[in-house]
Amino acid sequence: MLGLEGYGPLLLQGARLTVYVGVSSMAIAIFLGLIGMLCKLSASPVVRFFADIYTTVIRGIPELVLILLVYYGLPTLIQDITAALGYPVDISLNPFAAGVLTIGFIYGAFSTEVFRGAYLAVPRGQVEAARACGMSGPLTFRRILLPQMMRFALPGLGNVWMVLIKATALISVIQLPELMRSADIAAKNTRKPFTFFLAASLIYLGITIISNIVQQWAEKRAERGIRRA
Amino acid sequence: MNNPGENYTLPASAVRIKDLYKDFGRLQVLKGISLTARQGDVIALIGSSGSGKSTLLRCINLLEIPTSGEIHVGEEHIRLARNRRKETVPADRRQVDRIRTKLGMVFQHFNLWSHMTVLENVIEAPVHVLKTPKKEARQKAMTYLEKVGIADRSHYYPAHLSGGQKQRAAIARALAMEPDVMLFDEPTSALDPELVGEVLRVIQDIAKEGRTMIMATHEMGFAKEVSSHVVFLHGGVIEDEGVPDYIFQKPASERCRAFLSRFF
Repeated sequence: MLGLEGYGPLLLQGARLTVYVGVSSMAIAIFLGLIGMLCKLSASPVVRFFADIYTTVIRGIPELVLILLVYYGLPTLIQDITAALGYPVDISLNPFAAGVLTIGFIYGAFSTEVFRGAYLAVPRGQVEAARACGMSGPLTFRRILLPQMMRFALPGLGNVWMVLIKATALISVIQLPELMRSADIAAKNTRKPFTFFLAASLIYLGITIISNIVQQWAEKRAERGIRRA
Repeated sequence: MNNPGENYTLPASAVRIKDLYKDFGRLQVLKGISLTARQGDVIALIGSSGSGKSTLLRCINLLEIPTSGEIHVGEEHIRLARNRRKETVPADRRQVDRIRTKLGMVFQHFNLWSHMTVLENVIEAPVHVLKTPKKEARQKAMTYLEKVGIADRSHYYPAHLSGGQKQRAAIARALAMEPDVMLFDEPTSALDPELVGEVLRVIQDIAKEGRTMIMATHEMGFAKEVSSHVVFLHGGVIEDEGVPDYIFQKPASERCRAFLSRFF
């Protein structure tokens, strides 16, 4: 009953793609999260306003809706506009790029809040001491603030990653053959949904367990100097 | 420079403050402070909490931006400007960063970087700001750590040091920049009483080397012994100032006398 009927390699390929999508999206999410944090802490009310719009709107819309909106909605919108202007073009997005960008963009909003909390947790004296030595703003950020923020950000980022890796299953709806889509194909072709969705579940679980171990290692490393070794 | 009849010139000024004002919203903390520290001066800022000692010190290296007034460090005038919201801001951030390298700051709460060992704390700014080669920075750092007596703790993280050791490490960190002026912001106020002595001894040694220092302190005995000039602040103005003998024996200001009577 639990035989994979030759669909094992497809599942593994799907799992590999899921990890690719997850890691790429997370990289974008961290990048956008840091930018979003800096914007939220900006002295300019205009910049702060746009950062608030980003986190409020993105966190307030279901991931699935955003994925469909970007993948199907955006090209159609552009085609309609260009057609109306008399230059019809045919656009379709690459599902990998569309999926990664959308998921990265969504979890960037969550990461923004994680980083903002971490920033606020770093004592002001740490930054003052750096500035008092003549360290510039960017240097202080890189050498003092970022390493200290990581200690406070890692638990939150680990959480974002867990949710993100599971959310990648949603991009099966735009035909990207990641783990969920592969399991779906195998289940339909073999009429063994239990087998293949269970296999997919176990692979997701494996990915998150490995992530947990990596996270614990990273947290320990970030706590250098705080706890006794 | 104006010493008629004497063939003697005063040392050049290391820090010169003119008519300094600082507001925090509606609260006026400094109300027109003028003060000059010449090379080799050890200036003690005394006065009760809230008198403006710390704020004055923090204005000198622009950790607080003065509302108005002039600050000169060595020959350089720190240029200030107004932004669109009418706040005073440094006109040139690079100038501020450069001037800060010449002003070593020691904080009440040490502010050692908690993710770095003592040695890493001490070489951080020399390596990344002054671009001193790492090897050379390390050697220099060790001599400063020896000077403050914690060379044997160079590989400890700050969390594993006592308060006195932390403050001595912070002093070594400031000295490693080889600053023209050392600023001490109540360096012993956060320490347990039995640890105050070890830090004061280190500061006294630095003073003896002829380094220019400005320190806010509550240690009157120390101020009396170490400083060359004492400034009594009250309500954001200099209420009285002079050599220690004057301030501690016969200050003109009634408030100054009342303040000191609480210590002696």
